[in-house]
Amino acid sequence: MEIQLKLYGSSKILSDKDTLNIQLPDNSNIEKLRNILNKIISKKHLKSNLENLPKTAAFFSEKDEVVNDNYKLKNKESISIIPPIGGG
Amino acid sequence: MSLHTAIVKIEEEKISSKKAKEFIASEKNGAESIFIGRVRNENSGKKVIAVTYDAHDQAVIKSFQSICNNAKNKFDKGAKIFLEHAKGYAPVGEISILIAVGSGHRDEAFQVCRYILEEVKHQCPIWKKEHYVDGKEEWLPGHSLRSKKEI
Repeated sequence: MEIQLKLYGSSKILSDKDTLNIQLPDNSNIEKLRNILNKIISKKHLKSNLENLPKTAAFFSEKDEVVNDNYKLKNKESISIIPPIGGG
Repeated sequence: MSLHTAIVKIEEEKISSKKAKEFIASEKNGAESIFIGRVRNENSGKKVIAVTYDAHDQAVIKSFQSICNNAKNKFDKGAKIFLEHAKGYAPVGEISILIAVGSGHRDEAFQVCRYILEEVKHQCPIWKKEHYVDGKEEWLPGHSLRSKKEI
């Protein structure tokens, strides 16, 4: 299955676009997404910038609510990655 | 209407203190408290020329409204509140955040303003990338919305 990851803050260096399509095994959850993200970051040689991102990021569902690691992802679902925040 | 919140695309429009003052104006106000945050030219010894703000717009607006309503319930139900935050490329000197509060009394006006500022920093999905005089740029570390136990 495939999900669309909406990119914010530091995660934007993962793609030239505002989103990144990610292939996952069926029935994957957020924890699995974190593992896949780790691999993508290594593959793109972005460890020096984003090493902690998979661990520290939160994820928002399409309802803009934080979802926990057990949250089951659906095919074609749109998920936002929320790196550590710091506005104001 | 007693509450205004917005994310402002700073390359298209400026955050206006005049607009904020007009919004909170009321004959019921005995006090008005205004906080203006600006992009400054230095951070941790590095010379800054600008900051790019990124935001998850829908979630930010939801959290702005929740924070302002909590502030009203906690300190002054009758307070008038104006809250705007910049998004996009903001050069040094640009307003990044403006909080204006009209209230019956000074204590409540200060409290509401301070509460909103701290909660925005703590809760709202907004990110800053600093641009430096040497051409380098860097996303600033923030704090995770995950609990420490999960990390």
